[in-house]
Amino acid sequence: MSAIVTRELGKVYRAVGRTQMRALEAVDLNVREGEVYGFLGRNGAGKTTTIKILCSLLRPTSGEAFVLGENARTRKARGLIGYLPEQPYFYEYLTPRETIDFYARLQGLDAAARAREWEKLAGMLDLRGIADQRVKGFSKGMRQRLGFAVALVGDPPILILDEPMSGLDPLGRRSIRELILWMRDAKKTLFFSSHVLGDVEQICDRVGILVRGRLTHEGRLDELLGEQVKQVEIIVAGLSPEAARPLAARAVSHRTLDELDAFLVDGQDAANDLVRAVHGAGGRLVEFSPVRKSLEDYFIEAQEKDKAS
Amino acid sequence: MNRMLAVARNTFRESVRDKVLYVLLFFAGVTIFGSKALGWISIGQDIKIVKDIALAAISLFGVLIAIFVGTSLVYKEIDKRTLYTIITQPMHRYEFILGKYLGLMGLLLAVTAIMTGVSAVYVLLLGGGLDAMFFLAILLIYWKLLLVTAFAVLLSALTSPILGAIIVFSVYAFGHATGVFRDLPPQFDGTVAKQVLEIAYYLIPNLSNFDIRAEAANGVPVAPAYVAWVLVYGLAYTAALLILAALAFEDKDV
Ligand SMILES: Nc1ncnc2c1ncn2[C@@H]1O[C@H](COP(=O)(O)OP(=O)(O)OP(=O)(O)O)[C@@H](O)[C@H]1O
Ligand SMILES: [Mg+2]
Repeated sequence: MSAIVTRELGKVYRAVGRTQMRALEAVDLNVREGEVYGFLGRNGAGKTTTIKILCSLLRPTSGEAFVLGENARTRKARGLIGYLPEQPYFYEYLTPRETIDFYARLQGLDAAARAREWEKLAGMLDLRGIADQRVKGFSKGMRQRLGFAVALVGDPPILILDEPMSGLDPLGRRSIRELILWMRDAKKTLFFSSHVLGDVEQICDRVGILVRGRLTHEGRLDELLGEQVKQVEIIVAGLSPEAARPLAARAVSHRTLDELDAFLVDGQDAANDLVRAVHGAGGRLVEFSPVRKSLEDYFIEAQEKDKAS
Repeated sequence: MNRMLAVARNTFRESVRDKVLYVLLFFAGVTIFGSKALGWISIGQDIKIVKDIALAAISLFGVLIAIFVGTSLVYKEIDKRTLYTIITQPMHRYEFILGKYLGLMGLLLAVTAIMTGVSAVYVLLLGGGLDAMFFLAILLIYWKLLLVTAFAVLLSALTSPILGAIIVFSVYAFGHATGVFRDLPPQFDGTVAKQVLEIAYYLIPNLSNFDIRAEAANGVPVAPAYVAWVLVYGLAYTAALLILAALAFEDKDV
Protein backbone atom coordinates (compact mmCIF):
# COMPACT_ATOMS: atom_id res chain seq x y z
CA MET A 1 0.00 0.00 0.00
CA SER A 2 1.12 3.57 -0.55
CA ALA A 3 1.98 5.53 2.56
CA ILE A 4 0.90 8.91 1.22
CA VAL A 5 -1.26 9.54 -1.81
CA THR A 6 -2.71 12.81 -3.00
CA ARG A 7 -5.15 13.20 -5.85
CA GLU A 8 -5.40 16.45 -7.72
CA LEU A 9 -4.59 18.34 -4.57
CA GLY A 10 -5.21 22.06 -4.88
CA LYS A 11 -5.14 24.93 -2.44
CA VAL A 12 -6.16 28.53 -2.93
CA TYR A 13 -5.52 30.93 -0.07
CA ARG A 14 -8.19 33.54 0.29
CA ALA A 15 -7.82 36.54 2.51
CA VAL A 16 -10.30 39.34 2.89
CA GLY A 17 -9.37 42.32 0.76
CA ARG A 18 -6.46 40.56 -0.89
CA THR A 19 -6.18 38.68 -4.14
CA GLN A 20 -6.43 34.93 -4.14
CA MET A 21 -3.22 32.98 -3.95
CA ARG A 22 -3.12 29.70 -5.81
CA ALA A 23 -0.54 27.80 -3.77
CA LEU A 24 -1.08 24.26 -5.09
CA GLU A 25 -2.45 22.94 -8.33
CA ALA A 26 -3.40 19.34 -9.06
CA VAL A 27 -0.61 17.72 -7.07
CA ASP A 28 -0.51 13.92 -7.35
CA LEU A 29 1.94 12.49 -4.88
CA ASN A 30 2.65 8.85 -4.30
CA VAL A 31 4.96 7.94 -1.45
CA ARG A 32 5.57 4.22 -0.94
CA GLU A 33 5.66 2.55 2.40
CA GLY A 34 9.11 2.44 3.94
CA GLU A 35 10.75 4.92 1.61
CA VAL A 36 12.57 8.14 2.29
CA TYR A 37 10.96 10.77 0.11
CA GLY A 38 12.46 14.20 -0.40
CA PHE A 39 9.98 16.91 -1.21
CA LEU A 40 11.91 19.64 -2.97
CA GLY A 41 11.00 23.13 -4.00
CA ARG A 42 12.18 26.67 -3.72
CA ASN A 43 10.81 29.14 -1.20
CA GLY A 44 7.12 29.60 -1.74
CA ALA A 45 6.75 26.54 -3.97
CA GLY A 46 4.03 25.13 -1.73
CA LYS A 47 5.86 22.53 0.34
CA THR A 48 4.53 23.67 3.68
CA THR A 49 1.04 24.01 2.23
CA THR A 50 1.12 20.39 1.05
CA ILE A 51 2.44 19.17 4.38
CA LYS A 52 -0.19 21.10 6.31
CA ILE A 53 -2.90 19.50 4.21
CA LEU A 54 -1.43 16.05 4.88
CA CYS A 55 -1.53 16.80 8.60
CA SER A 56 -5.08 18.24 8.41
CA LEU A 57 -4.08 21.73 9.50
CA LEU A 58 -5.42 23.03 6.21
CA ARG A 59 -8.40 21.97 4.17
CA PRO A 60 -7.63 21.42 0.50
CA THR A 61 -9.58 23.60 -1.91
CA SER A 62 -9.79 20.66 -4.28
CA GLY A 63 -8.64 17.05 -4.35
CA GLU A 64 -7.95 14.62 -1.55
CA ALA A 65 -5.08 13.28 0.50
CA PHE A 66 -4.73 9.80 1.97
CA VAL A 67 -2.42 8.38 4.60
CA LEU A 68 -2.13 4.59 4.51
CA GLY A 69 -5.52 4.58 2.81
CA GLU A 70 -7.19 6.81 5.41
CA ASN A 71 -8.47 10.21 4.41
CA ALA A 72 -6.02 12.73 5.87
CA ARG A 73 -8.84 14.61 7.54
CA THR A 74 -9.68 11.76 9.90
CA ARG A 75 -8.46 11.26 13.42
CA LYS A 76 -7.20 7.83 12.47
CA ALA A 77 -4.93 9.33 9.81
CA ARG A 78 -3.51 11.79 12.33
CA GLY A 79 -2.66 8.84 14.55
CA LEU A 80 -0.44 7.42 11.80
CA ILE A 81 1.65 10.55 11.36
CA GLY A 82 4.45 12.09 13.35
CA TYR A 83 4.79 15.72 12.29
CA LEU A 84 7.67 18.13 12.67
CA PRO A 85 6.61 21.67 11.69
CA GLU A 86 8.82 24.12 9.85
CA GLN A 87 9.93 25.86 13.01
CA PRO A 88 8.56 23.82 15.84
CA TYR A 89 7.14 25.83 18.72
CA PHE A 90 6.34 24.31 22.05
CA TYR A 91 5.02 25.73 25.28
CA GLU A 92 7.86 27.88 26.54
CA TYR A 93 7.04 27.29 30.18
CA LEU A 94 7.32 23.51 29.96
CA THR A 95 10.47 21.42 30.15
CA PRO A 96 11.26 18.68 27.59
CA ARG A 97 10.22 16.06 30.11
CA GLU A 98 6.86 17.77 30.65
CA THR A 99 6.47 18.38 26.92
CA ILE A 100 6.91 14.70 26.02
CA ASP A 101 4.58 13.77 28.84
CA PHE A 102 1.95 16.18 27.49
CA TYR A 103 2.07 14.78 23.96
CA ALA A 104 2.07 11.23 25.30
CA ARG A 105 -1.11 12.09 27.20
CA LEU A 106 -2.67 13.42 23.99
CA GLN A 107 -1.95 10.02 22.50
CA GLY A 108 -3.77 8.43 25.38
CA LEU A 109 -0.77 6.66 26.92
CA ASP A 110 -0.93 5.65 30.58
CA ALA A 111 1.61 6.75 33.18
CA ALA A 112 3.92 3.75 32.73
CA ALA A 113 3.88 4.06 28.94
CA ARG A 114 4.55 7.79 29.20
CA ALA A 115 7.59 7.18 31.37
CA ARG A 116 8.87 4.57 28.91
CA GLU A 117 8.32 6.97 26.04
CA TRP A 118 10.39 9.63 27.78
CA GLU A 119 13.23 7.20 28.50
CA LYS A 120 13.32 6.05 24.91
CA LEU A 121 13.13 9.48 23.28
CA ALA A 122 15.42 11.22 25.75
CA GLY A 123 18.07 8.64 24.99
CA MET A 124 17.54 8.76 21.25
CA LEU A 125 17.61 12.56 20.97
CA ASP A 126 20.00 13.28 23.77
CA LEU A 127 17.54 15.24 25.87
CA ARG A 128 18.63 14.07 29.31
CA GLY A 129 20.99 16.98 29.89
CA ILE A 130 18.19 19.48 29.30
CA ALA A 131 15.34 17.37 30.69
CA ASP A 132 14.24 19.85 33.34
CA GLN A 133 15.14 23.14 31.68
CA ARG A 134 12.33 25.35 30.40
CA VAL A 135 12.02 25.42 26.61
CA LYS A 136 12.06 29.24 26.82
CA GLY A 137 15.84 29.52 26.60
CA PHE A 138 16.41 26.80 24.01
CA SER A 139 18.54 27.23 20.91
CA LYS A 140 17.29 26.34 17.46
CA GLY A 141 19.10 23.01 17.57
CA MET A 142 17.66 22.06 20.95
CA ARG A 143 14.16 22.94 19.76
CA GLN A 144 14.63 20.84 16.65
CA ARG A 145 15.71 17.85 18.74
CA LEU A 146 12.68 18.27 20.95
CA GLY A 147 10.54 18.62 17.83
CA PHE A 148 11.82 15.29 16.59
CA ALA A 149 11.11 13.70 19.93
CA VAL A 150 7.55 15.03 19.83
CA ALA A 151 7.08 13.72 16.28
CA LEU A 152 8.22 10.29 17.45
CA VAL A 153 5.91 10.07 20.46
CA GLY A 154 3.69 7.03 20.05
CA ASP A 155 5.97 5.47 17.42
CA PRO A 156 3.99 6.50 14.29
CA PRO A 157 4.74 4.60 11.05
CA ILE A 158 4.93 7.78 8.94
CA LEU A 159 7.02 10.84 9.65
CA ILE A 160 6.37 14.13 7.92
CA LEU A 161 9.12 16.64 8.45
CA ASP A 162 9.01 20.21 7.17
CA GLU A 163 12.55 21.44 6.49
CA PRO A 164 14.06 19.42 9.32
CA MET A 165 17.56 20.76 8.71
CA SER A 166 16.96 24.42 8.03
CA GLY A 167 18.78 26.78 10.32
CA LEU A 168 21.03 24.11 11.78
CA ASP A 169 24.83 24.09 11.80
CA PRO A 170 26.72 21.31 9.95
CA LEU A 171 26.90 19.17 13.06
CA GLY A 172 23.18 19.60 13.65
CA ARG A 173 22.42 18.73 10.04
CA ARG A 174 24.53 15.62 10.29
CA SER A 175 22.79 14.41 13.40
CA ILE A 176 19.40 14.95 11.76
CA ARG A 177 20.61 13.04 8.71
CA GLU A 178 21.74 10.17 10.93
CA LEU A 179 18.39 10.22 12.66
CA ILE A 180 16.58 9.99 9.34
CA LEU A 181 18.72 7.04 8.29
CA TRP A 182 18.08 5.40 11.63
CA MET A 183 14.35 5.83 11.12
CA ARG A 184 14.61 4.37 7.66
CA ASP A 185 16.25 1.31 9.19
CA ALA A 186 13.34 1.18 11.62
CA LYS A 187 11.12 0.73 8.50
CA LYS A 188 9.36 4.05 8.83
CA THR A 189 8.14 6.08 5.90
CA LEU A 190 9.80 9.46 5.80
CA PHE A 191 8.48 12.41 3.90
CA PHE A 192 10.49 15.57 4.28
CA SER A 193 10.75 18.88 2.54
CA SER A 194 13.88 20.79 1.74
CA HIS A 195 15.33 23.26 -0.68
CA VAL A 196 18.91 22.11 -0.17
CA LEU A 197 20.09 19.37 -2.49
CA GLY A 198 22.97 18.34 -0.24
CA ASP A 199 20.52 17.44 2.49
CA VAL A 200 18.60 15.04 0.34
CA GLU A 201 20.94 13.42 -2.11
CA GLN A 202 22.57 10.96 0.23
CA ILE A 203 19.44 9.86 2.03
CA CYS A 204 16.45 9.95 -0.29
CA ASP A 205 15.09 6.98 -2.17
CA ARG A 206 12.94 9.22 -4.27
CA VAL A 207 12.18 12.90 -4.63
CA GLY A 208 9.33 15.03 -5.83
CA ILE A 209 9.98 18.48 -7.16
CA LEU A 210 7.45 21.20 -6.70
CA VAL A 211 7.60 24.23 -8.94
CA ARG A 212 5.15 27.03 -8.18
CA GLY A 213 2.54 24.71 -6.76
CA ARG A 214 2.87 21.98 -9.39
CA LEU A 215 4.65 18.68 -9.02
CA THR A 216 6.88 18.76 -12.10
CA HIS A 217 9.06 15.72 -11.42
CA GLU A 218 8.87 12.63 -9.30
CA GLY A 219 11.41 9.86 -9.25
CA ARG A 220 14.89 8.83 -8.18
CA LEU A 221 17.22 11.76 -7.72
CA ASP A 222 20.01 10.29 -9.87
CA GLU A 223 17.52 9.77 -12.66
CA LEU A 224 16.44 13.36 -12.44
CA LEU A 225 19.89 14.87 -12.19
CA GLY A 226 21.89 12.06 -13.75
CA GLU A 227 22.04 13.23 -17.35
CA GLN A 228 24.36 16.07 -16.61
CA VAL A 229 28.11 16.02 -16.93
CA LYS A 230 29.68 15.86 -13.55
CA GLN A 231 32.12 18.59 -12.79
CA VAL A 232 34.89 18.32 -10.23
CA GLU A 233 36.34 21.06 -8.13
CA ILE A 234 40.02 20.65 -7.27
CA ILE A 235 41.67 22.84 -4.69
CA VAL A 236 45.45 22.77 -4.44
CA ALA A 237 48.19 24.51 -2.48
CA GLY A 238 51.79 25.31 -3.22
CA LEU A 239 51.50 26.34 -6.86
CA SER A 240 53.36 29.36 -8.13
CA PRO A 241 51.34 31.68 -10.41
CA GLU A 242 53.57 30.62 -13.31
CA ALA A 243 52.89 26.93 -12.65
CA ALA A 244 49.17 27.57 -12.26
CA ARG A 245 48.72 29.36 -15.58
CA PRO A 246 49.10 26.37 -17.95
CA LEU A 247 46.93 24.26 -15.64
CA ALA A 248 44.22 26.89 -15.67
CA ALA A 249 44.08 26.58 -19.44
CA ARG A 250 42.98 22.96 -19.05
CA ALA A 251 40.18 23.78 -16.61
CA VAL A 252 36.69 25.16 -17.11
CA SER A 253 37.47 27.85 -14.60
CA HIS A 254 40.21 28.88 -12.23
CA ARG A 255 40.21 31.04 -9.12
CA THR A 256 42.85 31.86 -6.56
CA LEU A 257 41.86 31.93 -2.94
CA ASP A 258 44.62 33.33 -0.71
CA GLU A 259 47.40 30.75 -1.08
CA LEU A 260 45.17 28.25 -2.80
CA ASP A 261 44.16 27.59 -6.41
CA ALA A 262 40.73 26.25 -7.28
CA PHE A 263 40.10 24.55 -10.64
CA LEU A 264 36.81 23.38 -12.03
CA VAL A 265 37.07 20.62 -14.63
CA ASP A 266 34.62 18.55 -16.65
CA GLY A 267 34.48 14.85 -15.83
CA GLN A 268 36.45 12.42 -13.66
CA ASP A 269 39.18 11.67 -16.23
CA ALA A 270 40.09 15.27 -16.84
CA ALA A 271 40.13 15.75 -13.08
CA ASN A 272 42.60 12.91 -12.56
CA ASP A 273 44.83 14.26 -15.31
CA LEU A 274 44.84 17.66 -13.70
CA VAL A 275 45.70 16.25 -10.28
CA ARG A 276 48.69 14.44 -11.82
CA ALA A 277 49.81 17.64 -13.49
CA VAL A 278 49.46 19.52 -10.19
CA HIS A 279 51.75 17.02 -8.48
CA GLY A 280 54.22 17.35 -11.37
CA ALA A 281 54.26 21.11 -10.91
CA GLY A 282 55.05 20.76 -7.20
CA GLY A 283 51.51 21.43 -5.95
CA ARG A 284 49.69 19.67 -3.17
CA LEU A 285 46.05 18.46 -3.33
CA VAL A 286 43.82 20.03 -0.66
CA GLU A 287 40.37 19.11 -1.82
CA PHE A 288 38.75 17.05 -4.56
CA SER A 289 34.98 17.35 -4.75
CA PRO A 290 32.56 16.34 -7.48
CA VAL A 291 29.95 19.02 -8.03
CA ARG A 292 26.64 18.43 -9.63
CA LYS A 293 24.46 20.99 -11.11
CA SER A 294 22.94 22.62 -8.07
CA LEU A 295 19.34 22.13 -7.22
CA GLU A 296 18.99 25.86 -7.63
CA ASP A 297 19.98 25.57 -11.29
CA TYR A 298 17.73 22.60 -11.66
CA PHE A 299 14.79 24.53 -10.31
CA ILE A 300 15.43 27.47 -12.55
CA GLU A 301 15.58 25.12 -15.50
CA ALA A 302 12.41 23.34 -14.46
CA GLN A 303 10.74 26.67 -13.96
CA GLU A 304 11.75 27.90 -17.39
CA LYS A 305 10.43 24.71 -18.93
CA ASP A 306 7.28 25.29 -16.95
CA LYS A 307 6.95 28.80 -18.32
CA ALA A 308 7.64 27.69 -21.87
CA SER A 309 4.91 25.07 -21.82
CA MET B 1 -11.75 12.93 27.85
CA ASN B 2 -8.15 12.36 28.92
CA ARG B 3 -6.90 14.35 25.98
CA MET B 4 -9.20 17.21 26.91
CA LEU B 5 -7.98 17.12 30.49
CA ALA B 6 -4.36 17.12 29.34
CA VAL B 7 -5.02 20.33 27.39
CA ALA B 8 -6.95 21.79 30.34
CA ARG B 9 -4.18 20.99 32.77
CA ASN B 10 -1.65 22.69 30.57
CA THR B 11 -3.81 25.75 30.04
CA PHE B 12 -4.22 26.09 33.78
CA ARG B 13 -0.50 25.68 34.29
CA GLU B 14 0.27 28.30 31.67
CA SER B 15 -2.11 30.93 32.99
CA VAL B 16 -1.01 30.44 36.58
CA ARG B 17 2.43 31.55 35.41
CA ASP B 18 1.02 34.69 33.78
CA LYS B 19 2.03 37.85 35.63
CA VAL B 20 -1.09 39.77 34.58
CA LEU B 21 -3.06 37.41 36.79
CA TYR B 22 -1.21 38.59 39.88
CA VAL B 23 -1.60 42.23 38.98
CA LEU B 24 -5.36 41.72 38.72
CA LEU B 25 -5.45 39.77 41.98
CA PHE B 26 -3.52 42.57 43.66
CA PHE B 27 -6.05 45.14 42.51
CA ALA B 28 -8.89 42.90 43.60
CA GLY B 29 -7.31 42.81 47.08
CA VAL B 30 -6.86 46.57 47.09
CA THR B 31 -10.53 47.03 46.18
CA ILE B 32 -11.76 44.66 48.86
CA PHE B 33 -9.59 46.05 51.66
CA GLY B 34 -9.58 49.60 50.37
CA SER B 35 -13.32 49.95 50.85
CA LYS B 36 -12.76 50.33 54.58
CA ALA B 37 -9.31 51.87 54.68
CA LEU B 38 -10.27 54.73 52.39
CA GLY B 39 -13.12 55.64 54.65
CA TRP B 40 -15.76 55.05 51.99
CA ILE B 41 -17.85 53.43 54.63
CA SER B 42 -19.45 55.02 57.63
CA ILE B 43 -19.86 53.22 60.95
CA GLY B 44 -23.00 51.15 61.20
CA GLN B 45 -23.44 50.27 57.59
CA ASP B 46 -19.94 48.81 57.05
CA ILE B 47 -20.53 45.08 56.90
CA LYS B 48 -23.25 45.36 54.29
CA ILE B 49 -21.12 47.58 52.13
CA VAL B 50 -17.96 45.55 52.58
CA LYS B 51 -19.88 42.51 51.39
CA ASP B 52 -21.35 44.43 48.51
CA ILE B 53 -17.96 45.74 47.39
CA ALA B 54 -16.33 42.32 47.84
CA LEU B 55 -18.95 40.71 45.61
CA ALA B 56 -18.58 43.48 43.05
CA ALA B 57 -14.78 42.99 43.07
CA ILE B 58 -15.06 39.21 42.65
CA SER B 59 -17.39 39.74 39.70
CA LEU B 60 -15.35 42.50 38.07
CA PHE B 61 -11.95 40.85 38.35
CA GLY B 62 -13.35 37.46 37.40
CA VAL B 63 -14.80 39.01 34.25
CA LEU B 64 -11.56 40.85 33.48
CA ILE B 65 -9.56 37.62 33.68
CA ALA B 66 -12.18 35.74 31.66
CA ILE B 67 -12.04 38.35 28.93
CA PHE B 68 -8.31 39.04 28.83
CA VAL B 69 -7.19 35.44 29.05
CA GLY B 70 -10.19 33.99 27.21
CA THR B 71 -10.03 36.13 24.07
CA SER B 72 -6.38 35.24 23.45
CA LEU B 73 -6.70 31.58 24.37
CA VAL B 74 -6.98 30.00 20.92
CA TYR B 75 -5.64 32.96 18.96
CA LYS B 76 -2.33 32.81 20.79
CA GLU B 77 -1.93 29.12 20.02
CA ILE B 78 -2.44 29.82 16.31
CA ASP B 79 -0.24 32.90 16.37
CA LYS B 80 2.61 31.18 18.19
CA ARG B 81 2.02 27.99 16.22
CA THR B 82 2.05 25.87 19.37
CA LEU B 83 -1.14 24.19 18.21
CA TYR B 84 0.44 22.73 15.07
CA THR B 85 1.81 19.77 16.96
CA ILE B 86 -1.24 19.50 19.19
CA ILE B 87 -4.20 19.33 16.84
CA THR B 88 -2.25 17.02 14.55
CA GLN B 89 -2.33 14.44 17.31
CA PRO B 90 -5.03 11.79 17.09
CA MET B 91 -7.55 14.02 18.83
CA HIS B 92 -10.63 15.95 17.81
CA ARG B 93 -10.39 19.66 17.39
CA TYR B 94 -13.30 20.19 19.74
CA GLU B 95 -11.33 18.38 22.43
CA PHE B 96 -8.71 21.08 22.11
CA ILE B 97 -11.24 23.92 22.37
CA LEU B 98 -13.06 22.35 25.31
CA GLY B 99 -9.75 21.58 27.01
CA LYS B 100 -8.68 25.21 26.72
CA TYR B 101 -12.05 26.28 28.11
CA LEU B 102 -11.90 23.85 31.02
CA GLY B 103 -8.38 24.97 31.88
CA LEU B 104 -9.46 28.59 32.06
CA MET B 105 -12.52 27.68 34.12
CA GLY B 106 -10.19 25.86 36.50
CA LEU B 107 -8.14 29.02 36.80
CA LEU B 108 -11.24 31.12 37.41
CA LEU B 109 -12.36 28.65 40.04
CA ALA B 110 -9.04 29.04 41.85
CA VAL B 111 -9.11 32.84 41.53
CA THR B 112 -12.72 33.05 42.70
CA ALA B 113 -11.92 30.78 45.65
CA ILE B 114 -9.00 32.96 46.66
CA MET B 115 -11.01 36.19 46.43
CA THR B 116 -13.88 34.55 48.31
CA GLY B 117 -11.56 33.34 51.06
CA VAL B 118 -9.97 36.77 51.45
CA SER B 119 -13.34 38.53 51.52
CA ALA B 120 -14.80 36.06 54.02
CA VAL B 121 -11.87 36.42 56.40
CA TYR B 122 -12.06 40.20 56.11
CA VAL B 123 -15.78 40.27 56.86
CA LEU B 124 -15.24 38.03 59.89
CA LEU B 125 -12.37 40.22 61.12
CA LEU B 126 -14.62 43.24 60.93
CA GLY B 127 -17.02 41.40 63.20
CA GLY B 128 -19.60 40.59 60.54
CA GLY B 129 -21.31 37.27 59.95
CA LEU B 130 -21.42 35.14 56.81
CA ASP B 131 -24.48 33.38 55.53
CA ALA B 132 -25.36 31.03 52.70
CA MET B 133 -26.64 33.96 50.63
CA PHE B 134 -23.14 35.39 50.37
CA PHE B 135 -21.79 32.16 48.92
CA LEU B 136 -24.81 31.69 46.69
CA ALA B 137 -24.13 35.11 45.20
CA ILE B 138 -20.56 33.98 44.45
CA LEU B 139 -21.80 30.77 42.86
CA LEU B 140 -23.94 32.81 40.48
CA ILE B 141 -21.01 35.08 39.70
CA TYR B 142 -18.99 32.00 38.77
CA TRP B 143 -21.89 30.82 36.64
CA LYS B 144 -21.82 34.11 34.81
CA LEU B 145 -18.09 33.62 34.26
CA LEU B 146 -18.80 30.22 32.67
CA LEU B 147 -20.91 32.01 30.09
CA VAL B 148 -18.63 35.02 29.54
CA THR B 149 -15.59 32.75 29.16
CA ALA B 150 -17.39 30.58 26.60
CA PHE B 151 -18.13 33.71 24.59
CA ALA B 152 -14.52 34.89 24.89
CA VAL B 153 -13.24 31.49 23.73
CA LEU B 154 -15.61 31.56 20.76
CA LEU B 155 -14.20 34.92 19.72
CA SER B 156 -10.63 33.79 20.26
CA ALA B 157 -11.23 31.16 17.58
CA LEU B 158 -12.57 33.81 15.20
CA THR B 159 -10.68 37.04 15.67
CA SER B 160 -7.81 38.88 17.28
CA PRO B 161 -7.68 39.31 21.07
CA ILE B 162 -8.18 43.09 20.89
CA LEU B 163 -11.26 42.96 18.71
CA GLY B 164 -12.50 39.97 20.69
CA ALA B 165 -12.09 41.79 24.01
CA ILE B 166 -13.95 44.83 22.67
CA ILE B 167 -16.84 42.67 21.50
CA VAL B 168 -17.04 40.68 24.73
CA PHE B 169 -16.90 43.87 26.79
CA SER B 170 -19.70 45.43 24.75
CA VAL B 171 -21.88 42.36 24.97
CA TYR B 172 -21.11 42.18 28.67
CA ALA B 173 -22.19 45.77 29.18
CA PHE B 174 -25.35 45.30 27.08
CA GLY B 175 -25.98 42.02 28.86
CA HIS B 176 -26.54 43.96 32.07
CA ALA B 177 -29.06 46.23 30.44
CA THR B 178 -30.97 44.05 28.03
CA GLY B 179 -34.25 45.52 29.25
CA VAL B 180 -33.31 48.74 27.47
CA PHE B 181 -33.58 46.99 24.12
CA ARG B 182 -37.10 45.90 24.73
CA ASP B 183 -38.53 48.91 26.50
CA LEU B 184 -37.69 51.47 23.86
CA PRO B 185 -39.41 54.84 23.79
CA PRO B 186 -42.46 54.91 21.47
CA GLN B 187 -40.78 56.97 18.74
CA PHE B 188 -38.83 53.80 17.81
CA ASP B 189 -41.99 51.91 16.94
CA GLY B 190 -41.92 50.40 13.48
CA THR B 191 -38.25 51.25 12.76
CA VAL B 192 -35.56 48.85 11.71
CA ALA B 193 -33.55 49.84 14.77
CA LYS B 194 -36.33 48.53 16.95
CA GLN B 195 -36.30 45.19 15.18
CA VAL B 196 -32.52 44.87 15.42
CA LEU B 197 -32.56 45.74 19.10
CA GLU B 198 -35.38 43.31 19.70
CA ILE B 199 -33.32 40.55 18.13
CA ALA B 200 -30.40 41.63 20.32
CA TYR B 201 -32.70 41.41 23.30
CA TYR B 202 -33.47 37.78 22.61
CA LEU B 203 -29.89 36.87 21.59
CA ILE B 204 -27.82 38.55 24.27
CA PRO B 205 -28.04 36.78 27.62
CA ASN B 206 -29.50 38.81 30.44
CA LEU B 207 -26.52 38.94 32.76
CA SER B 208 -28.32 40.81 35.52
CA ASN B 209 -30.12 37.51 36.16
CA PHE B 210 -26.91 36.33 37.78
CA ASP B 211 -26.68 39.37 40.03
CA ILE B 212 -28.06 38.79 43.53
CA ARG B 213 -25.50 41.05 45.19
CA ALA B 214 -27.99 43.40 46.83
CA GLU B 215 -29.97 40.52 48.25
CA ALA B 216 -26.80 38.87 49.53
CA ALA B 217 -25.44 42.04 51.14
CA ASN B 218 -28.74 42.74 52.83
CA GLY B 219 -29.52 39.15 53.78
CA VAL B 220 -32.71 39.01 51.71
CA PRO B 221 -33.46 35.41 50.64
CA VAL B 222 -33.85 34.38 47.01
CA ALA B 223 -36.26 31.67 45.91
CA PRO B 224 -34.52 28.31 45.19
CA ALA B 225 -36.59 27.98 42.03
CA TYR B 226 -35.10 31.23 40.76
CA VAL B 227 -31.57 30.03 41.46
CA ALA B 228 -32.24 26.72 39.71
CA TRP B 229 -33.66 28.57 36.71
CA VAL B 230 -30.60 30.88 36.50
CA LEU B 231 -28.24 27.91 36.69
CA VAL B 232 -30.02 26.19 33.80
CA TYR B 233 -30.20 29.48 31.87
CA GLY B 234 -26.42 29.92 32.22
CA LEU B 235 -25.64 26.36 31.21
CA ALA B 236 -27.83 26.56 28.12
CA TYR B 237 -26.08 29.71 26.87
CA THR B 238 -22.67 28.30 27.73
CA ALA B 239 -23.33 25.06 25.88
CA ALA B 240 -24.59 26.93 22.82
CA LEU B 241 -21.51 29.19 22.78
CA LEU B 242 -19.12 26.26 23.18
CA ILE B 243 -20.80 24.37 20.36
CA LEU B 244 -20.39 27.44 18.15
CA ALA B 245 -16.73 27.73 19.17
CA ALA B 246 -16.11 24.08 18.31
CA LEU B 247 -17.86 24.48 14.95
CA ALA B 248 -15.91 27.66 14.14
CA PHE B 249 -12.66 25.87 14.85
CA GLU B 250 -13.47 22.54 13.22
CA ASP B 251 -12.69 23.48 9.61
CA LYS B 252 -10.49 26.47 10.25
CA ASP B 253 -7.24 26.72 8.32
CA VAL B 254 -4.45 27.28 10.79
N1 LIG C 1 -1.81 31.70 5.05
C1 LIG C 1 -1.50 32.10 3.81
N2 LIG C 1 -2.22 33.04 3.19
C2 LIG C 1 -1.93 33.43 1.95
N3 LIG C 1 -0.92 32.94 1.22
C3 LIG C 1 -0.15 31.99 1.78
C4 LIG C 1 -0.39 31.52 3.10
N4 LIG C 1 0.54 30.59 3.39
C5 LIG C 1 1.31 30.49 2.31
N5 LIG C 1 0.92 31.31 1.33
C6 LIG C 1 1.52 31.46 0.00
O1 LIG C 1 1.47 30.20 -0.65
C7 LIG C 1 2.66 29.93 -1.34
C8 LIG C 1 3.25 28.62 -0.88
O2 LIG C 1 3.69 28.77 0.44
P1 LIG C 1 4.38 27.58 1.26
O3 LIG C 1 4.58 28.08 2.65
O4 LIG C 1 3.58 26.34 1.10
O5 LIG C 1 5.76 27.44 0.52
P2 LIG C 1 7.06 26.58 0.90
O6 LIG C 1 7.39 25.76 -0.28
O7 LIG C 1 6.86 25.88 2.18
O8 LIG C 1 8.15 27.73 1.05
P3 LIG C 1 9.40 27.84 2.05
O9 LIG C 1 10.53 27.12 1.43
O10 LIG C 1 9.65 29.32 2.09
O11 LIG C 1 8.99 27.30 3.37
C9 LIG C 1 3.56 31.13 -1.10
O12 LIG C 1 3.51 31.95 -2.23
C10 LIG C 1 2.98 31.81 0.09
O13 LIG C 1 3.18 33.19 0.00
MG1 LIG D 1 7.78 25.99 3.98
